[in-house]
This record gives sequence, structure tokens and C-alpha cells, in this order.
Amino acid sequence: MSIKTLVSSTIVFSVLAGSATMNVQASSSVNSQDDSVTVYSSRKEHLIKPLFEAFTKDTGTKVEYLTGKGGALIERLKLEGANTKADMFMTVDAGNLWYAGSQDLFQSVQTETLKNNIPAHLRDPQGLWTGLSIRARTIVYSTDRVKPEELSTYADLATDKWKGKLCLRTSKKVYTKSLVSSLIYNHGKDKAADIVKGWVDNLAATPNAKDSHVMSAILSGQCDVGLVNTYYFGRLIEKNPTAPLKLFWANQDTTGVHVNVSGAGVTKHASNAKGATQLLEWLSSAKAQAIYGSLNKEYPANQNVASDDVVSAWGSFKQDDMNLSQAGILQADGVRLMQIQGYK
Amino acid sequence: MEKHCFKSKIWISIVALLVAMPIFVVAFSWLLPEHELWAYFSENILSALISSTLILLLGVGVGVTLLGTVLAYLVVMVEFPGRKWLEWALFLPFAIPAYVLAFVYLGVFDYSGYAQVWMREVLGLPGFDIRAGSWAIILTFVLVFYPYVYMMTRASFKRQKVSMIEAGKLLGASPIRVFFKISLPLARPAAAAGLLVTLMETLADFGVVSLFNYDTFTTAIYSAWGDFRSIEVAAQLASLLVLVAFFLIYFEKKARGQAKYYSADVTNKKPYQATGVMGWFITLFVFGVFMLSFAMPMLQLVIWGWSSVADEWSVKYIDLITSTSILTITAALITVALATVLALPGRCKQASNWLKSVIRLATLGYALPGSVMAVGLLYGINQVSLINIHFGGESINHVIYGSIALLLFAYVSRFMAIAYSSIEASAQQIKPVYTQSARLLGASRMRLVWQVYLPMMTPGILAGGLLVAVDVMKELPATYLLRPFGWDTLAIQVYELSAEGLYERAAVPALIMVIFGAMLMGVFQYLDKKSSKTS
Repeated sequence: MSIKTLVSSTIVFSVLAGSATMNVQASSSVNSQDDSVTVYSSRKEHLIKPLFEAFTKDTGTKVEYLTGKGGALIERLKLEGANTKADMFMTVDAGNLWYAGSQDLFQSVQTETLKNNIPAHLRDPQGLWTGLSIRARTIVYSTDRVKPEELSTYADLATDKWKGKLCLRTSKKVYTKSLVSSLIYNHGKDKAADIVKGWVDNLAATPNAKDSHVMSAILSGQCDVGLVNTYYFGRLIEKNPTAPLKLFWANQDTTGVHVNVSGAGVTKHASNAKGATQLLEWLSSAKAQAIYGSLNKEYPANQNVASDDVVSAWGSFKQDDMNLSQAGILQADGVRLMQIQGYK
Repeated sequence: MEKHCFKSKIWISIVALLVAMPIFVVAFSWLLPEHELWAYFSENILSALISSTLILLLGVGVGVTLLGTVLAYLVVMVEFPGRKWLEWALFLPFAIPAYVLAFVYLGVFDYSGYAQVWMREVLGLPGFDIRAGSWAIILTFVLVFYPYVYMMTRASFKRQKVSMIEAGKLLGASPIRVFFKISLPLARPAAAAGLLVTLMETLADFGVVSLFNYDTFTTAIYSAWGDFRSIEVAAQLASLLVLVAFFLIYFEKKARGQAKYYSADVTNKKPYQATGVMGWFITLFVFGVFMLSFAMPMLQLVIWGWSSVADEWSVKYIDLITSTSILTITAALITVALATVLALPGRCKQASNWLKSVIRLATLGYALPGSVMAVGLLYGINQVSLINIHFGGESINHVIYGSIALLLFAYVSRFMAIAYSSIEASAQQIKPVYTQSARLLGASRMRLVWQVYLPMMTPGILAGGLLVAVDVMKELPATYLLRPFGWDTLAIQVYELSAEGLYERAAVPALIMVIFGAMLMGVFQYLDKKSSKTS
């Protein structure tokens, strides 16, 4: 029995290894020969395709892309190592960008163009990644039941006056995680834990899966206030311009509104690093930034570019200028804090 | 004889161990322990997650068994108005991905949904948080997964001897007593098989639990990976899921007991006629289940899809439909072929515990969440590369990653369990007397397989193929990570649009999926009818 077992497992292995070697020989001649740029992206296809098409039109360089979930794509990049086809990795959330950087997946790109186009707190200090759009996370409230004078900060939503009136998105979403990371950065761990605890006590419903659900809950009267990324509000207002909902810019007298980014970096093992850098610079340019923001009602990272009309109508606000790599560094602490405080 | 056994052992072992590769990778993760994170998890979140997972499994298990068995019994044993088309209509929910169904339910029944708004405004009732507690998510899973139990018990009821039920009737037993005392015990293996598939699907689910924000064991896996960046702890937690699946399979075998239930005379005569009020009552119940689990979600999707089809439809959909079809059909064919090899009856298998164990291993992948399975495969290939490099070769990662072969491999590993359990159930129906007489007549093993086993296993093979095809069509996480460039599927399109809140547009690919799934079921129905006529 045991000998047979051994024999059969040996055979399995040699078949595996053999077929693998054959595959290498069969395909070693197929290698990248053209000058196209290959992008792995966790930003969804309908948001990147128009940009890449415009880039190809401007420069003649083709862009190939593969969309996927951020964490899974990072894992794939790690395992592909030096053989990866990806020249650029694009993702949402600074935490993901920071983590990809910490795993040695990016190369440093610090060109004058990028420095001129994108403010420093939206770029990695070592130039591993560059933020390309700003996603502000702030308070949304029912204009029927809440007066703007009652609102002030993220921390204020943890006070008793909002008991049973607050709706939040799940703690499993990156935007919640990076907001809580910023609370830790600005207030320290203990205070941040108190705030999160207060939020949980004030919840009117189980945390929602999506920002859009938070807003429908407010509209239907389940709660009065919530926290959302502004572009979700933008989409809702576009469909339903008379909805009794408004944005309130949080922490204007203190640290400013928490912002996150979507962004990209040139991969460490890019076979076309030059093309990828060119694409990155192009994406930071005024022309691309106008498209980039308006496709999704986000704020352009390039401060010389005006935001889309709908977005501008919400007024300007002070941003939290915490360098966004902190969102990555503090993320694991933030998650522990939320799990311990029972924020689902 | 011995020689023949050795050969078949090797073949079956190769197939089974290959299919089980992700399981090995996940198990090997224990070589890299991470004490700190484990201490944190076990102190803070694990106990709550385990109890919420058990509650979910228990509720869903009881629910699907009751609903699936009762529905199957009604359509097979009782004649009632509308029975003929409802018998097939009840399969249709298979075609809707679980997360799409959950999404529609929340849209209707959550606090802001039409149903609750109507309840508050018209009936004056107080509103409530439907996602609090676990009853709503349990009901959702029951409505999504009952077709598994329904499908398997329906086939089993069809094979039951009408004469036994007639005997029960003659002895004066009420229909309900006949159901509990005769039909249900006979259908136990089938119900257990359907239940097993359901529980493994529930364990591996991520979409529905995310929408309800209900924490299960899978939540911890994703947290270990996504939040704490530890693929090792994620794999270790996943290996515990595999262990649970292993026990579930063990109990399923136990539930089947030693008894073997062989196929009997097939007639289309219904033992019971439900007429008058009773008949319409049954119709209302069965139709109600169909409404909730299929018609209502479909209506919502059609309303959404109608308003956005002009924006969303483009030539891109030709590609999406093509790649979805190719992947679905190829994966189903390969999985079914391999599952048939594993499930063919044989003396060698009867005698060998080794073979029984490797086959069991090959069916455990179903309990792994799709992305864990996918990453497990990537790691497995990476190990082969490292071995290759060690012996002076090259890394094969870049060749295998993103190849269609790897994606098909993932499908086969993940869905082997459903193909196997359905095919094996039909193999068990083959009476030993067939084999014996074939042998006595001097038939070779080859002829025995082709002319006796395969024809008799056809219903199981068809059912297994259909289930795998529909599951592959709906599969998201593994496809998302492993697909080659340019192989986007309909499921990916649904996910990308709905993740960004564009539900109206997401309804378009979702509807195409449902139509595609319904077509697959049409083919199945045709083949099923044909095969039951010839056997």
C-alpha cells in the first residue's frame, strides 16, 4: 500500500513538472515585442477605458488592461515577480497603494511633471505611487430633519445627540478603514477608539454594504446623518436632483475633510517602464484629469484643474493634509480597533 | 486482477490529487504560523464568528431540506393544477447568482425598500432593520439554494416504487404519514447530498453575507488577507473550512447509512390527486415559492434593465457572451468527464481505502471561497516553479498565470464536488446484478462501462453537468483573478457595474446570464426527458 502510494504520488508530481517544463519551452519565444503599456487595475473598466482610449489617440501607444480586486491583483503581481506583464498597477484607496509599495512592487518615479501636477500629500514620499483623483469622505444629512448648525466633526457624530440617528457603511470597506486610520493619526488610538465606540452606539441600523444604501436609509427616515464618499452623493443627485439630502464638510475648523485617492504606480519589473511613466504623467495632466474626475464625480488630484460642474456646486473645502501613506501604515490598527469596538 | 487494480488506482489517484491541489496548498500554510494574529483573532472575533456561522448553517440547512423535499414530493407524487410547468419552473432560480438575488431582496424588503415603505405608509406599521439578526439572510439563502435539494430529491422520488406508496395508502396511512414514513426515508440520501452542496455553498459565500453585512467564518478569512495582509493566516482559516466540509461529507455518508437504494420501476402515474381547494392551495404554495425566488427578482431586473439597455448594450457583449459560453461549456465537460472517472463503480474502488480518501479529497474544494481557491492555485504553481528552478529549469509562473488552462483547472477543482455527488448518486443506483450478469456473459470492463454503467448513470451525469455549467457561469472571484486578458465574463460585468452602484446597467448582463442559464436548463430538460424514456 505505502509503496503504491509513493509511486502514485511520484507520478503525479512528474506529470505536473513535466507538463510545466513543456509549457515553458512552447512559449519562451512569445515575449513582449510591441511598445504597448499593460495595466492591472482595480479601478473598474468603465472608468478607465475612456481614458486609455484618449491616451492612445494622443500618443499612439496602446494600453492593455486587466481589472480585478485590489488585494488579489497585488497577490498576482507578487507571484508573477520579474515575469509580470504589468507595467502599471492602478488601484483605489491609499492603503492598497501603500501596501503594494511596501511589497516592493513599484519603482520610484519622481518626474518634474508629476511634482508640478500633483500635491505632495497625494504622492508617496519615495515616489512609488501617485494619487490621480481625490475622493472626499464627509457627512451627508437629511435637510428635513437636521440643521447644518448641528453638525461639526466626525467625532461629534459619536456624541449622544445622534443616538439612533446615524447610518454608517460597513467597516470592511477601505474608505471606512482609511477614515479610521486618519482618526488614529489625528487623535491617537484611545480617542479614536472612543469615537468608533460612540458611532456604534449611535447606529440606527446594521452598517450598510454601500454608501448608496446609507443615503437611501437617510431618505427613507431610518436615520438622519451618515458618512459617504462625495461621488456617491453626486450620482444620487444626478438621478434625483430634488432629494432632501446635502453634504456637510466635516472638521473645517480642525483637521479638514478626510480624503483618499485612486492612484497608480509603475511596476518594479515593468518591461515598458518608459511607456508606463509616460501614461502616468499623461494621467496627471490637465486634459486627463478633467476626464478622470468627471467620469466618476471625483475631485481632480491636479489642483489646476477645475472639478466637474456638479461637483463644484458643493463648494470648496479644507482637506486633511495627512500624507496618505499613513492610511496604509495605520490601517491594520484601525481595523483591530473597529473589530474590538464591534463596528461590523 | 491485481494488475488491473494497480493501473486504475494510479489513474484515479492522478486525477483526484491534481484536482485537490489547492487543498494541499491551503493545508501547507500551517508551516508558516503567525502567532500574534491568531492570538488577536481568537481573543476578539473568532468565537462570535463561529457561532454566527453555525446559526446560519443550521437555519439554512433545515430550511432548504424542508422546502426542497416538500416541493419535490409535491411535483412528483401529487397531481395539482399547474404542476407540469411548475416542476420545471422551480429549477429557474439556479440561473440567478446568489448575490444578485440578495441585492434585489434588500432593494425590496430593506427599510428603504418598496415593501417596507408600503407597510409603514399604508398599513401604518413600524419599520424595522431587516439585516439585524439572522432570519432574513437565512431566508435568502433558503430561497437561493433550495433548488439543490429539490433537484436531487425530485430525481429520487421519481425512482421510488409507486407500489410501496400504494401499499401505504391501502393500509390507511394519510398522505402526510406516507411522506414521513415511506417517501422521505427513501429520499434521505438525495436530500443529504443536496444539503451538503447547500452548506458548502453557504460556507464559501462572500457576496450575500457582504450585502447583509453578516459576519461568518469567511469574513475572518478576508479580514486576515485584506486587513492584516496575511495570506498565510487566511489559508489557515480556510483550511478549517475544509475540515468542516470534510466532516459534513462524513456525516452525509453516515446519513446515507449502509442501505443502498436501487432504481425501481418508473411510471408517470401520480399516487395522489389534489383537487378542489386542496389542489389550489398546493398550487398557491408552489407558485409562491416560484414568485419569490424567481419571478419577482426577474421583474425587478427587467425594470432596471429596460431603462438602461440603450446605454449599456454594445458590441462588447458579443465578447462577454462568447467567453462566458466557452468557459462554461468547456469547464462543465471536463469536470463531468473527470467526475465520471472517479465515480464509476468498480471492485478496486470498493476494496481500497486509499482511493476512497483521495476521491474525498478531490471534492473538498467546493468549501473554499473562490478567491482563496484561486490564490491557492497561484501558490501551488509557484511551488512547482521553485522546484523547477531548483533542478535548473525556469519559473513557469508567467506561462501558467493568466492562461485559460489555469482558470479551467480552478473551475474543475472548485466544482468537482457537485458533479461528483450527482454522478455518484446515480452510480449507486446500479444494482450489482447488472454487473454480475454482464461479467457472466464475459463482457469486458470496457463494454461494461460503455454499455451498462454510462447509460445508467446518464441522469446523474446530465444533472452534474448542468449544475457545474450554471455555477461556472455565475462564478466570480476565481474568474476575476485568474482570467486571461480579454476574457471578461458576464458575471464580471455584473460585479463591476453593481460595485459602483450602477444597478440599472448591471441588470443587463444579469438578465443575459439568466437567459443563458434558462437555455442550459432547457437543454437539460430535453436530455433528461429523453434519457428517462430510453432507460
